Amino acid sequence: MVQSRRDFLCALPTITAGAALALPAIASATGEESGKHHWVMVIDLQKCIACQACTMACIMENAVPEDSFRTFVPTYEVHEGKQTATYMLPRLCNHCTKPPCVPVCPVGATFKLKDGVVAVDGDRCVGCGYCVQACPYEARFVNHDTGKADKCTFCLHRAEAGLLPACVETCVGGARIFGDMNNPNSAVRKLAEQNKLKVLKPESGTQPNVFYLGLDTRFQGSVKGIGTLWRPSGHGG
Amino acid sequence: MESHITEVLNVTPGVTWLPWAVSYIFLIGLSYGSFLLTMPYFVFGRAKQEKLGRLALLAALACGLTAPIALTADLHGPGRFLNFYLHFQPQSWMSWGSLFIPAYLFSLLLYAWLALRGDFAQLGKDGDSLPVRLYRLAGQGGAAPRMAIVAAALLTLAGTALMALYTGMEIMTIQARPLWNTAFLPLLFTATACSGAVGLSLLFNRFIGDRDSQLETGLNRLLLPALAIVLALVGAWLFTGISSSAAWFNRIAETSQWRLTTVVVVLSILLPMALAIRRPASSGLINGLIAVSSAWLIRWFIIIGGQSIPKTDAGLYHYHLPLGSDGLLGIIGTLGLWIALLLLMLEYLPWAGQAFADRTKNRPDVLADSAITQR
Repeated sequence: MVQSRRDFLCALPTITAGAALALPAIASATGEESGKHHWVMVIDLQKCIACQACTMACIMENAVPEDSFRTFVPTYEVHEGKQTATYMLPRLCNHCTKPPCVPVCPVGATFKLKDGVVAVDGDRCVGCGYCVQACPYEARFVNHDTGKADKCTFCLHRAEAGLLPACVETCVGGARIFGDMNNPNSAVRKLAEQNKLKVLKPESGTQPNVFYLGLDTRFQGSVKGIGTLWRPSGHGG
Repeated sequence: MESHITEVLNVTPGVTWLPWAVSYIFLIGLSYGSFLLTMPYFVFGRAKQEKLGRLALLAALACGLTAPIALTADLHGPGRFLNFYLHFQPQSWMSWGSLFIPAYLFSLLLYAWLALRGDFAQLGKDGDSLPVRLYRLAGQGGAAPRMAIVAAALLTLAGTALMALYTGMEIMTIQARPLWNTAFLPLLFTATACSGAVGLSLLFNRFIGDRDSQLETGLNRLLLPALAIVLALVGAWLFTGISSSAAWFNRIAETSQWRLTTVVVVLSILLPMALAIRRPASSGLINGLIAVSSAWLIRWFIIIGGQSIPKTDAGLYHYHLPLGSDGLLGIIGTLGLWIALLLLMLEYLPWAGQAFADRTKNRPDVLADSAITQR
């Protein structure tokens, strides 16, 4: 399976052929049946330029309603002595191995697939927002159009078609790397082996599957600083 | 080297649990708190507590029947509640709540029916109009056996315990919200439910009852320890190191908006306590108003205030109450429904009991004189 933009382009002929396969074969390829895949994302913060192309691509791909975001790149200004630097931290659902959003759901509408993706069954969801409250990463929201829980799915519909998630596909700096941690040849696996990857809020015990390269510990948890200077128009509050 | 972080760009997620949730937890608390106040008369047979028992039963029913409507409104689609029963999840407190709410309400309705069965029978004695026939149907068998009332009260008491437990635990178990993730929360909800219910009975005594000063004094005496417990719990929750919430409270207390809210909350506890000591026989109206408001305010502080603390972002989210159904209109609508239910019950339920039925038979104008009169 593809692991990065470069891998993806190399694998394009295979993917094109794969698109012609029958649906059961695609489901098998995503590992949903066997659980042989373990989808993760690695974000190399040194490559992120906060262009928000990922934010826009996600909105367009997933019809995310106005003022809501499945992924976003908060931007910070860090002052140290006389020096000032900009820090970017792309955020999205962490598809945790132990997702706190799953056990609280009163109707079992949110669950973890065998390939590691945390998904929401829109037909079953009652929009109670319990999972939104339980998520320590502020990665969920109640969709204003549907009145149901919404979140990043790692663009599962694209993965099933052999495509990369929209945010990975569009990332200008190649900061987002998506792939199968179970595949020893995948870019994410190699990055994990060669670097010390960090996760957000490790103390919460959620075991995220979104990893960061170059994550400053000051941004690992709840950021202590001055609140945002500009926000999109608020909703519900 | 010392560093300062300024968040330049981010998004405000907004509150997910809207004022509907505050209304629900407020009303269900008042309902089970009021139910507890009915027990001295209906269960333990203390005749002196008849007025309180009957007024509190009215409050328990009006609040209990309105509360689930507010909760359903928060689901963004009323029919969705069916999914709770189609897909029960034993690991979710909210899922258990979907069972506890009807269990509590049905046991409360059973208890109310048994408690008032004698009154129904009395009202159904003469006439053939539809209400009289309905009274006759409801009152078949006459006054219910004491054991039946006690059994129904025990059922409702179990429902009360489950409601108090689940409403607190549902919020307490959310580790992602440090202001909520404390054992003080279920205790605080229960304590404010009781103080609010005493406050509501004070108001009912003033506006529906016959302004009994003896009852007013008694309720004020009851309000005092209830508020003292609330004060101790609020203090321990927010100001001591016993709870991890204290550190997070310090963070939100940096804003003037929340500092003011905290002062108002503390005053809303201290002021009625002082009045209950100084003027127990004449402070019913103001104490009732403040005690009920305090129960609302503390829930607002917890639920809306808790959501104003970002989980990952810097600073605080600022909440502005929308005017529409997700905000002010929703609160007013819930209050309107509560008043409508109350008026319906005042019109059709023999809430003033046997004495009322006896009196109305001879003196139809008795309700105008005094809604509640001793036998």
